[in-house]
Amino acid sequence: MTSVAAFRNVSKRYGEITAARNLNLDVASGEFLSFLGPSGCGKTTSLRMIAGFEQPSEGEVFLEGICVNDVPAYSRPVNMVFQHYALFPHLNVESNVAYGLKQRSPKPPTGEIHNRVHEMLELVQLTGYSLRQTWELSGGQQQRVALARALINKPKVLLLDEPLAALDRKLRREMQIELQNLQRNVGITFILVTHDQEEALSMSDRVCIMREGEIAQVGSPLDLYDRPRNQYVADFVGKSNFFYGVIEQVRTWKVDIRLDCGIPVVLNSSRSFNSHKNGDKICISVRPEQLVLARDESNIPEDSAIKSTARIMNRIFLGEQIEYLLCDERLGEFLALSSRHNELNEKPFETNEVVFVAWSRDATLILDDDERDKPNVS
Amino acid sequence: MSKNSDKQITSKQFMRQLWRYKRGSISRREFLGVTGLGMATAVMGAAIPSLLPQKSWASTDLGDRLVFSTWPNYWNQANLDEFTANTGVNIQVNAFGSNEEMLAKLQAGGTGWDVFVPTNYTISNYVELGLIQELDLSRIPNYDASANNPKFAGPATVNGKVYCVPKNWGTTGFIINSNKITSGPKSWKDFFEVTKGEGSGHTIVHDYQLTTIGAALCALGYSFNSIDPNELAEAEAVLIESKPHLFAITSDYQPGMRSGDAWMSICWNGDATQLHNDLPEMQYVIASDGGEIWTDFYAIPAEAPHLDAAYAFLNYMQDPAVQARDAEAHGYAPTDARAIALQPASLATDPILHPAEELMNGLEFGAAQTLTDPNRAELIARFKSA
Amino acid sequence: MAALLAPTTLWFLVMLIMPLIVILIFSFGERAAVGGYGGGFTFEQYANLPARLKAFQNTLTYAPLGTLLSLLVAYPLAYFLALKVDRRFKLVLLVLVIVPFWTSLLIRTYAWIYILGGRGIPTILEWIGIEGVRLINTPTAVLIGIVYGYLPLMVFPVYVSLEKLDKSLLEASNDLGGNSFKTFLQITLPLSMPGIATGCMLVFILLMGEFLIPAFLGGGKVFFIGNAMVDLFLQSRNWPFGSAVAATLVVIMLITVSIYMRLAMRNKTGADQSLM
Ligand SMILES: Nc1ncnc2c1ncn2[C@@H]1O[C@H](COP(=O)(O)OP(=O)(O)OP(=O)(O)O)[C@@H](O)[C@H]1O
Ligand SMILES: [Mg+2]
Repeated sequence: MTSVAAFRNVSKRYGEITAARNLNLDVASGEFLSFLGPSGCGKTTSLRMIAGFEQPSEGEVFLEGICVNDVPAYSRPVNMVFQHYALFPHLNVESNVAYGLKQRSPKPPTGEIHNRVHEMLELVQLTGYSLRQTWELSGGQQQRVALARALINKPKVLLLDEPLAALDRKLRREMQIELQNLQRNVGITFILVTHDQEEALSMSDRVCIMREGEIAQVGSPLDLYDRPRNQYVADFVGKSNFFYGVIEQVRTWKVDIRLDCGIPVVLNSSRSFNSHKNGDKICISVRPEQLVLARDESNIPEDSAIKSTARIMNRIFLGEQIEYLLCDERLGEFLALSSRHNELNEKPFETNEVVFVAWSRDATLILDDDERDKPNVS
Repeated sequence: MSKNSDKQITSKQFMRQLWRYKRGSISRREFLGVTGLGMATAVMGAAIPSLLPQKSWASTDLGDRLVFSTWPNYWNQANLDEFTANTGVNIQVNAFGSNEEMLAKLQAGGTGWDVFVPTNYTISNYVELGLIQELDLSRIPNYDASANNPKFAGPATVNGKVYCVPKNWGTTGFIINSNKITSGPKSWKDFFEVTKGEGSGHTIVHDYQLTTIGAALCALGYSFNSIDPNELAEAEAVLIESKPHLFAITSDYQPGMRSGDAWMSICWNGDATQLHNDLPEMQYVIASDGGEIWTDFYAIPAEAPHLDAAYAFLNYMQDPAVQARDAEAHGYAPTDARAIALQPASLATDPILHPAEELMNGLEFGAAQTLTDPNRAELIARFKSA
Repeated sequence: MAALLAPTTLWFLVMLIMPLIVILIFSFGERAAVGGYGGGFTFEQYANLPARLKAFQNTLTYAPLGTLLSLLVAYPLAYFLALKVDRRFKLVLLVLVIVPFWTSLLIRTYAWIYILGGRGIPTILEWIGIEGVRLINTPTAVLIGIVYGYLPLMVFPVYVSLEKLDKSLLEASNDLGGNSFKTFLQITLPLSMPGIATGCMLVFILLMGEFLIPAFLGGGKVFFIGNAMVDLFLQSRNWPFGSAVAATLVVIMLITVSIYMRLAMRNKTGADQSLM
């Protein structure tokens, strides 16, 4: 796979504000990549630098291996679907979709334009809508017109800035599937901006998680979930329990850690991304579903990283699963998710019941202690 | 503007001009007539009684206000202030740009005017329409008919009744910039010759049918007041023929003359005095083949709401010293010999204000029908749109 | 509802319909011997309209020309203000556009007499070697005065329509391969049409009644229908004929407005209704 779009040390500043900081990213041809992150983290800015609407303050943007810093937006082989579609209100559906073709010089013959437009409308299932005015269409239909319009020039990369944000939940779900199918059909690289993690994780081949202008981590959805590089990603993707402590001793395969509450833990050093040295402040992370709860201590596996007791504070039935909020004097509050049909076949725990809690070494990640936000439960 | 007329206009000069305009002092008859804004210039002070100063003393109760309609820059504020101080009557001044406008206003009714200033040729119309009232001269003891040349005071008497008392008089001739016009035109005939010759592109005629058509008629040897269709047709030909050579058709001719853009213009003699005083090369000419002589009067509208104040005001304004001060403010000649006697010699003997009798032999007073003749109105419209 | 509408209707009747009716009645009357309205019923005034043909012709030439020139000057200004100026300076610049218009048009037009007069621009031109330019009291001066006097009336509607313009549409066009010029022609211009139409309409209608600028800057030699009416009402006091001219002008304006409304309705799209 060759990279169709890339950032090399790209930064973007607006006066005091740094909207993007030292971005490095390669987008593979044909892949579906999402920029995910909270509001204001620089997703749109990054996308607009690819489109050519913004110039990087530093670094270079590449398209198909060529630096395009000096190439104006109208000459770049990328197209964009705008958040509010930005359909031209004075043009009907057909003219909107044909717009890109008509800008070419030489302009393609009218017949060809007509055929291409209808091909595109068919692709987005809007056959027969060509003479409608855009404001007569529903949100979803407008969305499709925007897609058809952006795809007609066969861009190398299609940029989508929160294209589904304006749609209601059900329609959004449908469009997500449709977008995925469309991407597979046309084989064009899609870069999608969203702050909906479910959307990013369900649709993308890879997700680029951004935080305050920086790339926190790029990886497949599974990767991000199982092997988050830092507390921020672990927190952002799915739910995690965090416990803070210091490294006491780094050994060949193992790491001795003492949590702030005094509990010593021994973990596999392979569960850490960054090399740590003795005395480093760290944070360990464990997913709620990886906690083992039991009434009987004998049901707790021997080689657990931690064994403790805790009181069930609250429980929420989620159908197949039950989410428990637990509390222990030393560990504080944390979440556990247990399947109702686990191998132990225990009855669901009651509120106020005191149970045994444990989790395995392999389930525990060692992360840098991110001082910036420290929620125990997320 | 100043004497160094060859220099560029400076911002200071420009502001002075604007200022002149704001005071309404550029010319007596121009601006407001052109713009039609005259009717909107009523001074608001008198409409708010609580703002009026208390009267100091009053022999009889004259009320507390008087509405006075006159021409722009045609009064001395010191006189009005003195009158107010003496009588407790506050004066609201309205300025108008043309006789026609005043007539239109009075015809429409409800003006609230107590005293106004018509020109000789309108008086018989006002009388005919019943818009002005006969004066009780016993209430104007300061008016001395014997001190007024009957030639000027004459139009005040209609059908043996006196309706007005005279204010000032003047002539309508033309002014030339003698640095530019060197052939020394002496008549209206010369005026139109120069317009097509050495003054081409630099001549102004009034946007006023009375004087502009009158000038063309005089140039042809006809009466200034002619309403004879054949004579008017000839006059029209003269005007149309000269139109391509005109700098402007406007009664606001001072700015053009002062800036040097215009070299010759039909001109009222008061403006001529102002121009000549500032720029000596400006020479006023009373045309040998005729022209206009006119008198302005004080009159009281039939519906004047403050009649006692109006009479008190007329009497005050006829005081020779008051007349002299009035004339000092605007430069036109009083009709009253007693007032002239009180004027400084420079004004009393000024040849523009007081030309030699023989020069004025050919001049005519404008006639009432000259003003109202529809053919003349149409003629000037055709001339302007030609 | 009816009670709420009553004052509006009354106002409409008193301020608009009544004067029109008076004008209409006058226009079928005769001039009184000493001027004014003399009663009667005659078509004479309308039959006499050709006597002001030249004034109508002038007005119907200069009004569209002046409108077009105002648009050509106002559009770049409005474009610059709406799309190019930093938001922080926008208000300041807008105010600067308006400030001159706090002074009366009379005074400002009067100032132009000096600017265009022999000691103004022609002298400056002489310094750079261009001799013998005459500006004041020419049709050019009248057009300059018109463009100057009517600029805000054109700038503001165009500005509003450009300001409302969704900037992402411009990016979308740019993204789809349209350079700045193509984007302007295909997106900006058509979408600012409502503003252009409104501005042109305002300027054109007011120009039809203009009399001050031709009188001052045209030296009375450029004669508009407005000047004809001023003369007829204030100088010759031929109210019936003046009324007939006014009524004819109103009819011409109504025709223009209805054509505008037609076009406006036809072009009505979801995005540009607010200026209609
Ligand atoms: N034109 C601009 N001028 C100044 N600051 C800007 C500009 N555009 C973006 N920013 C700032 O840059 C930062 C990143 O903005 P960006 O629009 O890329 O965020 P985002 O991740 O797309 O957020 P959202 O999810 O809310 O759309 C923000 O702090 C924003 O305020
Ligand atoms: Mg965004």
